[in-house]
Amino acid sequence: MKWSPRVENRLVDVAKFVVVLTACAYLLLRGSAGIGYNWQWQTIPSYLLTVDGGHLRPGPLLRGLLVTLEITFFSLLLSALIGLGVALLRLSGSFVGRLLARVYLETIRNTPLLVQIFFLYFVMAPILDIGRFATGVLALSLFEGAYASEIIRAGIVAVPIGQWEAAHALGLRSFDTYRAVIIPQAMRRILPPLTSQAVSLLKDSALVSTIAVYELTMEGRTIIAETFLTFEVWFTVAAIYLVVALFLSFVADQAGKYLRIS
Amino acid sequence: MNDQAKQESNSPIIDVRRIEKIFPGPVVALRDFFITVERGEVLVIIGPSGSGKSTFLRCLNGLEEIDAGTIRIDGISLDENEANRLAIRRKIGMVFQSFNLFPHLTVLGNVDLAQRLVQKKSRRQAAEFSRRLLEQVGLADMEDRYPHQLSGGQQQRVAIARALAMMPKIMLFDEATSALDPEMIGEVLDVMRQLARDGMTMVVVTHEMGFAREVSDRILFMDKGRLVEEGESQTFFRNPRHARTREFLQQIL
Ligand SMILES: Nc1ncnc2c1ncn2[C@@H]1O[C@H](COP(=O)(O)OP(=O)(O)OP(=O)(O)O)[C@@H](O)[C@H]1O
Ligand SMILES: [Mg+2]
Repeated sequence: MKWSPRVENRLVDVAKFVVVLTACAYLLLRGSAGIGYNWQWQTIPSYLLTVDGGHLRPGPLLRGLLVTLEITFFSLLLSALIGLGVALLRLSGSFVGRLLARVYLETIRNTPLLVQIFFLYFVMAPILDIGRFATGVLALSLFEGAYASEIIRAGIVAVPIGQWEAAHALGLRSFDTYRAVIIPQAMRRILPPLTSQAVSLLKDSALVSTIAVYELTMEGRTIIAETFLTFEVWFTVAAIYLVVALFLSFVADQAGKYLRIS
Repeated sequence: MNDQAKQESNSPIIDVRRIEKIFPGPVVALRDFFITVERGEVLVIIGPSGSGKSTFLRCLNGLEEIDAGTIRIDGISLDENEANRLAIRRKIGMVFQSFNLFPHLTVLGNVDLAQRLVQKKSRRQAAEFSRRLLEQVGLADMEDRYPHQLSGGQQQRVAIARALAMMPKIMLFDEATSALDPEMIGEVLDVMRQLARDGMTMVVVTHEMGFAREVSDRILFMDKGRLVEEGESQTFFRNPRHARTREFLQQIL
């Protein structure tokens, strides 16, 4: 049988990939054997799904994933709102507004997210009287909001100046101009990168495990503390993040393609 | 009619006194510029590139702030007062060289938008009036199309209908046909011609000298931000007074 050169190249690539992967697995196995690690994959499925009285129930890892998805979802919404507000402030004619936006952006971008989470949890949460989940969502939203505002601002600035002039010439107020003319056109530039922000949020949400929100990472840590299945659980947790993140990236790509066509 | 109203309707609808516009640079785009336009009058502005024609039109509806002088439109003074500015913009329709249609809205949506948001008309009322305007500009069957599905000439006619939807007292045209293929210029000029016949006050920047001669009441020639000369269209082309005007006319005719 004769392969075409393209297929042949592909096959060689796949072969190389398999070799590298096998080498990694081998090193890992040897290493773990070296430290006397006792693999127990058989117990992992019960942390995903448990059978309880004939009913299928989500195990701690799946429940954690659900919380992670909730955090990601709410933070995505809130960060988009914050982003929009900050972008409009930065584009506004008000000096105070622009200054406020600047201070917010510089603070968020120049302090570690972990410190922001602790700051909100230990300083702001008692003052505002909000729970751990809300604190986590707020921290992530404020953090991603800074990046969202850049995306939104860039989308707005990219709308041709003639669109503003046409709207103003018709006598539209600034608010209507934004709402009916500028934002709808900016959307097609804003939405794809904003959807990619969902992936960042998903990954960053692991950090709120530090304030004991029982999302995926926290559930993983709890299981390990009880069972010492360190390797198996971290492998599983990483795989779950990977699958969800890949899925979100795929959705973002499709949204981008759809918006470019229409 | 009371005295004040009578006086209003007799006074010029556009009254521009000694305005100045300086862009950072500094570029003096308008200097000591003045003009009055009567109700129903069609004024054509000509002049070399960079002479300040567009800047003047854009000052009239407040798209550019003037640095000195006064502008009064239909008795309202264009100043920092936001309500005045909006009121004036609602009296003035503007048509741009590059159409500037809203690409995310259909033809009907483009013409409806300001009626809905500014005049607060209902969807039905707005659509009804829009359809009449689209018929007037010869696009009755195009209301569901998007701007990118139209030819340049059709887009510009939609833009005219969109401006007319606010029932303006004044229409400004900034080189409305300059971006069009030659075979589409006629259809847009026809619409403008009809508007002039219907008594619309118009200020038109154009390079179409045939159109200028035929439709305008007055011609204004400007150069380097200043008014060089103005006069009735009939005499303007026959007897330009200034050497600079003659030179310009020779170049373009
Ligand atoms: N936004 C701006 N910033 C700086 N300079 C400007 C701006 N707009 C216009 N100008 C300058 O002001 C002068 C007048 O420009 P304007 O566009 O009014 O000329 P015009 O007569 O309309 O020319 P054209 O026939 O090429 O359209 C030019 O020198 C131009 O470079
Ligand atoms: Mg111009």
